[in-house]
Parts: sequence; structure tokens; C-alpha cells
Amino acid sequence: MTRLLSHIIHDEHFVISSERTLFWENQRALIVADLHVGKTGHFRKSGISVPQSVYKDDLHRLLSQILFFKAEKLIIAGDLTHSVANLEMDLFRKWRNDFPMLDVHLAKGNHDILDNKWYAEANIQVHNDPLEIGRFSFIHDISDADETPNGPFIFSGHVHPTIVLRGKAKQTLCFPCFYFTNTFCILPAFSRFTGGYRIEPQRGDKVFAIAEKEILAL
Amino acid sequence: MKKLEATTGYKVITDWLAIGDRKPFTFQKETWQHIADGESGLVNAPTGCGKTFSVFLGSLIQFINQHPNDYKTKKKSGLQLLWITPLRALAKDIGRAMEQVIGDLDMQWRIGIRNGDTALAERTRQKKQMPEVLIITPESLHLLLGQKEYAQTFQTLKIIAIDEWHELLGSKRGVQVELGISRIVSSQLAVGSWQLAVVSQQSAPDDCRLTTADCSLSIWGISATVGNLEEAKEVLLCPLQKEGVIVKSNMEKAIEIESIIPDEIEKYPWAGHLGIKLAEKVIPIIQQSRTTLIFINTRGMSETWYQKLLDICPDLAGSIALHHGSIDMELRTWVEENLHSGNLKAVVCTASLDLGVDFRPVETVIQVGSPKGVARFLQRAGRSGHSPDAVSKIFFLPTHSLELAEAAALKQAIKEKIIESRPPMILCYDVLIQYLNTLAISDGFRPEEIYKELINTYCYKDLTQKEWEQILYFISSGGNALQQYDEYKKTEIEDGVYKIKSRKLAMRHRLHIGTIVSESMMKVKFISGGYIGVIEEWFISRLQPGDVFTLAGRNLEFVMIKEMTAFVRKSNSKKSIVPSWQGGRMPLSANLGRKLRETFDRKSSSRKQNQETEIELEVLEPLFALQEKLSQVPKQNELLIEQIETKDGFHLFVYPFEGRLVHEAMAAILAYRISKITPITFSFAMNDYGFELLSDQPIPVDDTNVYELFSPDNLLIDIQRSVNSTEMARRKFRDVAVIGGLIFQGYPGEKKKARHLQSSASLLFNVFSEYEPDNVLLRQAYQEVLDQQMEEVRLRDMLHRIQASNIILTFPERLTPFCFPIKVDSMREDLSSEKLEDRVRRMQLQLEK
Repeated sequence: MTRLLSHIIHDEHFVISSERTLFWENQRALIVADLHVGKTGHFRKSGISVPQSVYKDDLHRLLSQILFFKAEKLIIAGDLTHSVANLEMDLFRKWRNDFPMLDVHLAKGNHDILDNKWYAEANIQVHNDPLEIGRFSFIHDISDADETPNGPFIFSGHVHPTIVLRGKAKQTLCFPCFYFTNTFCILPAFSRFTGGYRIEPQRGDKVFAIAEKEILAL
Repeated sequence: MKKLEATTGYKVITDWLAIGDRKPFTFQKETWQHIADGESGLVNAPTGCGKTFSVFLGSLIQFINQHPNDYKTKKKSGLQLLWITPLRALAKDIGRAMEQVIGDLDMQWRIGIRNGDTALAERTRQKKQMPEVLIITPESLHLLLGQKEYAQTFQTLKIIAIDEWHELLGSKRGVQVELGISRIVSSQLAVGSWQLAVVSQQSAPDDCRLTTADCSLSIWGISATVGNLEEAKEVLLCPLQKEGVIVKSNMEKAIEIESIIPDEIEKYPWAGHLGIKLAEKVIPIIQQSRTTLIFINTRGMSETWYQKLLDICPDLAGSIALHHGSIDMELRTWVEENLHSGNLKAVVCTASLDLGVDFRPVETVIQVGSPKGVARFLQRAGRSGHSPDAVSKIFFLPTHSLELAEAAALKQAIKEKIIESRPPMILCYDVLIQYLNTLAISDGFRPEEIYKELINTYCYKDLTQKEWEQILYFISSGGNALQQYDEYKKTEIEDGVYKIKSRKLAMRHRLHIGTIVSESMMKVKFISGGYIGVIEEWFISRLQPGDVFTLAGRNLEFVMIKEMTAFVRKSNSKKSIVPSWQGGRMPLSANLGRKLRETFDRKSSSRKQNQETEIELEVLEPLFALQEKLSQVPKQNELLIEQIETKDGFHLFVYPFEGRLVHEAMAAILAYRISKITPITFSFAMNDYGFELLSDQPIPVDDTNVYELFSPDNLLIDIQRSVNSTEMARRKFRDVAVIGGLIFQGYPGEKKKARHLQSSASLLFNVFSEYEPDNVLLRQAYQEVLDQQMEEVRLRDMLHRIQASNIILTFPERLTPFCFPIKVDSMREDLSSEKLEDRVRRMQLQLEK
């Protein structure tokens, strides 16, 4: 079961989902980051036998999130694909073609290295500059953004943020998370075949940790 | 022995020895006789007693006897003796010694060295014409098996010698040796069968296939004393299917052990790992002997010790050196050479000098902190006093007071000759997968052939057909996949032969062999140029530019990381961080643990009767008195449990004296069993003497349930259920994944693409656990946890022992001398039976407070 939590930014309503996605109600847009499509294939082609079912599961999860929210738009904050083209990307294109009505936007990330032709054929709009919609902006790596006072609120990915919780008696736990400051948000990596980077939140920041099927506001 | 003595070879060799006024030792003669008879076996002799010559000269005698008239002129005889050694550093010296003999005898044999340092030109030369003796490491032997037509190389081979077998036995490199031997034995037979077939004009070679009994190859292990010598021999000889013999040297070295005793035991720390407070006492010892080796248990502490000795005795500058595994090879070689020539007064070292050539000038050894086992202590002691009749002198320097009791236990164990066993590893799927890929890059392999060989090895004798099929499936199709969208590529099957055809994959695999060491290391270089050593990546990753740390005895300022290298500059800063290297934390051996329990028993009974005991125990009197007052000193047949409440929470201390690994496992199991009584979360800490459970709520252990909590019933199930086995397996999985080829470490010239192939072992562990839980490598990680991490057999023995003993529960009002070292130990694990969400919620509340 998917857990949801609503979150308001600039008077707009967003839904945080425990499946590592964010839904923007007004725009009927599903926001994700770091899908890394083709990563398992890339490994397998090089003789490293990672189970391909991780990828299959990623696609299933994305599908069910789109259906669940009845999303009309998919915004990817970078790293749709992992590396050079392979057969897994063909499967993604096939999957993509099952939703011809879905509008797909990609804010280009450092792993998005395929030919322009590929994106065109997959009917994906690629944005080399930050993608701006209303008072919001989408970029892959937040450190590339020009933050201006009263500028747009920025959604980004790249970091694969995780948060460490500490308790008494020196207990620790580590989870992927959504990381919100007053000016930007870093989304967790959507793919489950991704590592993480531990973030250290400042006072006033908001962190939503994904603990298995739960969302925990911290 | 008449027969041997009548031979030309024997005469030639003994005549040569006589020139140097030497005579063969009895065990050497015995070995030569066995080699002449075509026997195989194990030579058991301490280092520095001529064990190299036992097998090497035996091989020469054999050769001379086969060619009595032209042994001096016969050239290019092909490989005769394969000499497997665990250490590269050993190869050079052994090679030199062998060359000397060959030169003196005026023979034409060539001695070759093959390891990671061997130049390409030399390798090519070896490929064209193998030297008569090849000195090789287990990894390089496998690389040799990865060459096309490798079987030809071994056709002329007469003897495989495995030097320092006790060091390899019980490790995955030992398994590599087993596999190497099994392949060589079979390939010799295959070639032999084929030749027989040609001679007898038969068309089908299978009809006259030779069996292992026809193999003329001899296998000789050379080993120091271990508790399981018989087994050590069996592991080596398994592929030959021969019983073999054990040849023992009767030489025994006299050892003198002395403890360095703090002046005021009351002021000596109760906990600690460093022992630096006693550094002053080390100086006179160094000054009074020619050369002293100071053994420190970890690399980080050895850096600190080196600095400290220089601080208190600046005169030592220039005549004291540091030697550990992370120091640049060249520097280490320099230290070793100067040890040889006697130019150094003292060397601070780690296990890096446990093995290796003999340093004659060494007169004294100092062991700082617990050596963890009797065998290791003996081996280190043996580094001093090298001539066969000299006395080995070793000082024991305790790092905390209670460790003095360990010195007393060690003395007792040595008196009673109790030496640890090295149990061989079994069913290592990771090494097998690496090996199969190695065969696949050379001539390829036929599964039915290799399977027959494998079940003739000790490691894989219980490999089932089903497991075998799973492994073949794993390397050829990569497990779980999405058929038409899969491009998995590694081993391909062609007419029943498994091969790796892609040159790129083959090259990667070749670079991969030998990566049995795991933690990812980073090079450290001066920004102005010059290599200093290596350091663990996780340590560097925590440093900020400007931070000062110590490596190779120098203070270095961290500047930046570029291309997997940390750049530094010299620093004059007084303060610096000493890197802590992970690993190298050996557990206390079972033997030493038992002796320690006996020692405490002896101490407490002698207290009651006012008897004198060893000096180490006498000086500990105040500590024992306090322990007795606050709690109790456990007897041999007692298990002490202390429950103490402090501001940190509720502590439960248990003292089985079984080494940190068993304690880690027991802590997890105990925590799990308690948590079945009530939902509770623990963190735990342990050392070699005992362990601690710490919780924020009272721990429900009392005399009504305590025997049940330590019951051996359902042990396996409880181990599997205790959350920690997952965490432990995750740690083990790193090694397994690297060896099994799942972690790609990259190689020169492929930097950019390689980045897209990087993933952490921990991530792979998650992915496999969720999506392919029956994966063989994953299963192996769990099995290793059981066998090594938990030491299941030892754990079970301990629980049986506890059932038969008295469990004593005490409630001291403050921390006791026994619990203090554990309390201070910072390595902690979690175990919880609470629901994750509840746990997180509670942790959050604590955060907010």
C-alpha cells in the first residue's frame, strides 16, 4: 500500500508518496528523479549479474504511480537513463508507447547521454536549461542552479539523499528521503538500484524519510 | 634410509653441505627419502630451521638421481618444482637462496619468480621456456591457469611445494591453492593419458585414462605447528587421493616470556588498546638488545607508537623504523633490508612482519596488547633469537591492566603446548566462480570434467550436483532476467565447453584475480610527487582539506582527492588524526580463552589460600580485590553476568571469555531471546572477554530465565532470526561479491565508463536480498557469517559449557574493572524486536527532547 502525505509550497498542493514520487495536483504532474533506466542491463552486459527484476519492478512501480494519481504529465528531474543505450531502454520505450497521452519532460542530468534522436523517438521533451512551470523550476543537480531571492522553488535529484536517524543507546537507521529547504527540494532516487548520500539537514529544513512503506516527517 | 644414502644425488648434496660445515638434519633426510620414494606429505618445522631445504634439496636429489651423468649440463628441463608462497616478499629471498645452491652445484637450473611484480618481459620469457623452479603466489598460479595451453606448462612438473601452508590454510587463498593443485594433477593425467593412447595406438584415449593413483606428482606442504596438522595435510593431498606422511622436526626453541609491569597498577588504565603509558619502559629494552621488533596489533596504533618512541627518545631517530601493510612497498623493502643488515635498532610493526624471511639481528620481540592466540604469540616470539640454539626473548606489554592476566594464561598455554587449529574453508562459491571464469578465459572447461575434480578437493567435496548446476547457470546466464531484453554476457557455452570469448571481459577478469583483499584503498601521494602509501577510502572521505593525519610516521596535511589518489603535503602541526584501519581485529582464540578462565580461577582460589601466583596476577591484586568487592571474579565453571544502571541506560554485562566474534553473535542471540519476552531495543558492545547489552528500559534477565536464555536449543533458528545476521552478512558480502566478480574495481584507461559500473556491495546486497534471495553468493555470505563471524561450532560449545556451569548474576552499584573495557569499546550493533515504525517514532521523540 502506498502511503501519502500532503505538502504545500507556494500555495500549491503536492502529495509525497512512499514510492519515492511527488504528485503536483494542479498540473496533474508526477515528479520523479534518478530512474537510471538500463543500469541493470549495463551491468549485465559487462558480465556483472545483477538481477534484472529490480528494473522490472521499477517500471511497475512507475506505472502504478501514474495510474494511481491519474497523472497527465511526468517530470523527471534528471538521470532517466544510466549509461549508453542497451536493450533495457528498448523496453522502456515500449513501456512509454503504452502511454501516448502522457506528457514526459526531462531536465537533463549527467547520466542522460543518449542521442537526441532517442529522446525524440521516445517522445520525451528534453530540457537542457532548467524547466520552469509557474513559480517552480526543475533541474537535475541543485548545485548547478542559480538561486535568486523570490526566484522559483526548485525541484532536483542527483544526490540520492538518505537520512540517518539516531536514538538513545547509540542506535542508528538510514532511509532514502525527500529533502526540503525553503527554496528547493531534493527528491529521493526513484530506482531501487541506487546508492545514497547522507544529507545533514539544517535548522528549518524538512525531511521526509521513506521507511519501507511508511513516510516519516522529521 | 640406506637406499637414499647410496644415491648420487644424496652424495652430491651432502658433499655440498659439508663444504659449509653443515650436515642434514634428520627431518630433512627423512623428507628427501620420501621424495625419492615418490611420497607426498607435510613437513612440520618452525621457521629458521632449514625447512626450505627439506623440500628444495629433495627435489634436486631426485633430479640428480634421474640424470646422474648429465645433471650438471642438462638445460631446459621444463618446470620441475612449483613453489607456492603466501608472500611476494618471501619469493625474492627464497629465490636467492635457491640460486646460490644451483650455482655452487654448477647446475643449469633456472629459478623464476612469478607474482604481481614480475615484469611482462620475464613472463613472456617464462611462457616460452619455463624455469625449472617457479616461485609463485596463489593468485599468480590462477593467472597461469588463465593462459592458453597452460596444461603444457605443468607436464614436466614433479613436485608442488606449498610454503607457510599454515598461513594459507583457513583462508580463501588456501582454497585457491587447493583448486590449483586439483587442476594441475588432472591436467597432468589428461596429457599422460593422451600420450599413452598414442603409444598404444588406441583411438579412444578414454579407454586408458589414468587415475590419480598413477600420478607421479608429489605434493609437499611446509607448515609451522597448528592444532590440526593431520587435516592440514589432508587438505593438500585430497586431489591426489593419497594418505601421505607428516615429517616433524624435533627442534624446539626455548622461549623466555617476560611481562612489562606498570609501576603503579592502581594508576594503569582499566581500558584501552594502546599501552602508550608504558613506552618509557620499552626504551631500555631497545637499548640493551641488538635489534628489537615491536609488534602492535593495528596499523593506526603502530603509527602512534612510532611517534611516541621518537618523542621520548630522540636519539633513536634514524635507527628506528615503522613497517605495516599500508606503507609503500619500497619503504617496506628498505626496512626489511636494514633489518637484515642490522642497521636498525628497532622496528615498530604489525602482522606485516609476522611472516617472511628471518632477520638474524633480531634479539628481542615486544608484543604490545593481546596477541589473541597462542600460535601467533609463539610465531612472533620466534622472530627473535634466530640461530637454532638461541633463546627467543619476548616481552608482553599490556594495554590495560586486565590484559596482564592474559600474559599469565599465555605462559600456561605455552607450557602445556596448546596451539590453535586453522580450520580449512569449505564450499566457497565465490572462489569457485572466480576459478571457473579463469578456466573460461584460457582453454575453456567441460563441466563434467571439472565437477569430478572438484569433489576430489577438500573444499568442494560436498558440492551437490544441484549447487553445481546453479553455479554454472549463474556464470553462463546471470540468474534472473527478462529474456528478450537481456544482454548478459560472460561465460558462453560452445560444444559443451564453457568459455569467455570477449577479450574485454577476459582482460577484466585477469585484472580481477587476486582481489581477495577487499576494503577499497586509496593511494596517498605528495602534491610535489612521491608515493607514501595507501589508506582506506572511508577514512579519507571524512577528512576536510587542511586536516592533518599520520601515515608512515609522517604528519601529512590533506589537500585534495584526484583520480583515486589523496594528495597531501608535509605538515609541522603537532596535532594529527591517526587513521584507524578497519579489519585486523582478530578474536581471542578458544584456547587462550579457556586458559584465561582457568587463570582467573587460579587467582581467586590462591587469594583465598593466600598463595603466591605468577607475578602478573600478583600485581593485579588491587583490581581483583575491587572486582570481588563490587561483583565477583568468576571461577572456571561459572559465568558472570553483571547488571548495572547508569545515566546511559540499563547495562547487562556477560563474560564468557570466548573472543569478540562469539560475543557479537551471542549478544545478538541473547538480545533476540530477551526481546521475545518483551518488545525492547538494544545496542551492544563487546570485546574479547565479554559483551554488553544496553537498553533504555530495564532488561528482564533474572535467575528464573537465565539458563533458558543461554540454551543451545533452537540456536540455528535464533541466529537466523536475530536481525543482526543480515547486517553481518551484508559486511561479509563485500568480500564475496568482489571475489565472485560482482564488484567492478575498474582498471587503467577505462575510468569514465567504469564509473557507470560502480555500485557498493551494500546496494548489491539489498538488491539481491529483495530480488534474488536464493543467489549463491548471497547464500555464501550468510554461511560465512555462521561459520566464521559467529563461529557457530564454538558458540554451541560455549552454550553447552554454560549449561553445565553456574550462572552468577550480580548487581554492582557502579562499573566494575571487568566491564569497563567493554563499556569503553565503541563498536556497537543494534538489535530490535520492535516494529520499525515504533522504533523510529521513539527515536524521533528522543531527538526532539
